[in-house]
Amino acid sequence: MNIDNIKKEFPIFDEKIQNNDLVYLDSANSSQKPKVVIDRINEFYTKEFSNVGRSIHYLAVAATNLYENTRSSVQKYINAKDKNEIVFTKGATEALNLVANTLGQKYLNEGDEILLTELEHHSNYVPWHYLRKSKNIKINFAEINEDGEIPIENIEKKITPKTKVIAINHLSNVTGAILPIKEITEIAHAKDIIVVVDGCQGAPHLKLDVQDLDCDFYAISCHKMYGPTGLGILYGKKKWLEELPPYQGGGGMIKEVKKDRITYGDLPNKYEAGTMATAQVIAFDKSIKFLESIGIENIIKHEKELIEYGQEILKKNNSVKLIGNPKNKGGVISFTIEGVHPHDIATILDEDGVAIRAGHHCCQILHDKLEIPASARASVGVYNTKSDFDQLNESINKCKKIFDLK
Amino acid sequence: MNLKELYQEIILEHGKNPRNLRKTENFNKDAKGNNPLCGDNVHVYLKLNNQRKVEDISFEGSGCAISMASASIMTDLIKGKSDNEAKEIIDDFLGMIKENPELKSTILEEDDKTKLMCLSGVKQYPMRVKCATLSWHTLISAMEDDGKQVSTED
Repeated sequence: MNIDNIKKEFPIFDEKIQNNDLVYLDSANSSQKPKVVIDRINEFYTKEFSNVGRSIHYLAVAATNLYENTRSSVQKYINAKDKNEIVFTKGATEALNLVANTLGQKYLNEGDEILLTELEHHSNYVPWHYLRKSKNIKINFAEINEDGEIPIENIEKKITPKTKVIAINHLSNVTGAILPIKEITEIAHAKDIIVVVDGCQGAPHLKLDVQDLDCDFYAISCHKMYGPTGLGILYGKKKWLEELPPYQGGGGMIKEVKKDRITYGDLPNKYEAGTMATAQVIAFDKSIKFLESIGIENIIKHEKELIEYGQEILKKNNSVKLIGNPKNKGGVISFTIEGVHPHDIATILDEDGVAIRAGHHCCQILHDKLEIPASARASVGVYNTKSDFDQLNESINKCKKIFDLK
Repeated sequence: MNLKELYQEIILEHGKNPRNLRKTENFNKDAKGNNPLCGDNVHVYLKLNNQRKVEDISFEGSGCAISMASASIMTDLIKGKSDNEAKEIIDDFLGMIKENPELKSTILEEDDKTKLMCLSGVKQYPMRVKCATLSWHTLISAMEDDGKQVSTED
């Protein structure tokens, strides 16, 4: 599939948004959906619907096969060793809560330390904060440098003999910095530290090979990967998923239930309690096929060109200040305009059909560090073009005019 | 939708040069408010005298042009009013933002009403209504002195 005219695969771009063509620069928040994914959901509900993993009638068996087929596709896409290392969740947030909760139950004790970074999204901080409250666990933060990156020595500096877990994002949703996960894992594993990766921004934009990264857990958000909402994936090394206790209890995750005892199911059922997001899982297979048909190398090249182009024209626009300048960067450009609050920027841009995000992007720790209450963020997907950044720049100029800036 | 209605001259001017952006000395009532979705925050300070008149009112905080202008205009209009008058103005403003086409209060001068009506542009922008109302809800909390932090997401 040719990336240059990929936009036509996404029906939303045929719509007029308040009489404008849509310039969608909010994919870090959630990506738009290709027609193949939308159609697959419709088709499943129309012709093939059944719950999975329970009944033995024809539709149930067929749906179960489709559901498990996505698991195999995900396994291949991220190069996991075993299909059972792929757990479906309701989102990356649930995946990270699952890891924090079960590690907290079985592995972490009072006084243990968890190392995060100042770049973490709230969903990779709040679940660990619960352990701070319930188990008296200490949380440390590796600091950003002036370019908005986390140099490896800033991680090493914060590792102590009590560090048990490093939970870290793969690609920052604010500065776009790509973190050296493989190197971090090497350092961590030499000290028996578990590495949990928040891959929400990494998975849609980078080549994934969890065996090469060697991380212990990797959380994925499917709706940021051209897939449906309500679905996330937790990759976990088999030894951990086998050793850790279940997260939620309910149907589908048990082996045997008696009045005086319960035994739990094998992987991956152990972590998939209740009726799962069946249609979403089945449709997500189409998202993976869609990504594979373009090729991750082509996606990386395309998005790199877009980000470089975007940065170049925004740098030329005086009063625009870019946030962070990481050497290894992907996906997002965050910025501020001196004298215009990000919310005002977003409202004015919206009038031209330019959709960006304004706020702290669930990264208050980072914004506090940068001493700004909020920022504006333009983020890209496969469907963006350089002209989207031309329109962004034009709308920013309109914004400056309204606020009487030079 | 109309950007010109949202970003009227008065709004932009108050947003750029907010009145009463400071901390009242010897305040006897105050409250904090925040909008966790965007990180906007405001701290309203009041000095209510023995006759229950607002001797001084001020605010600290940061936010978008709409929220700064709203807090600025609010503090300007509330200063010098009795607490009952202030409550009437607050109700009137919030009623206007929510549903009423006009302000009903007879306390305010026409000039002041015009200023307040400049904020009515947010009615067309549901996501921005909270920007305009945060400081007003925080003022209610300060006057009631309930010690609660106002959040747009409660």
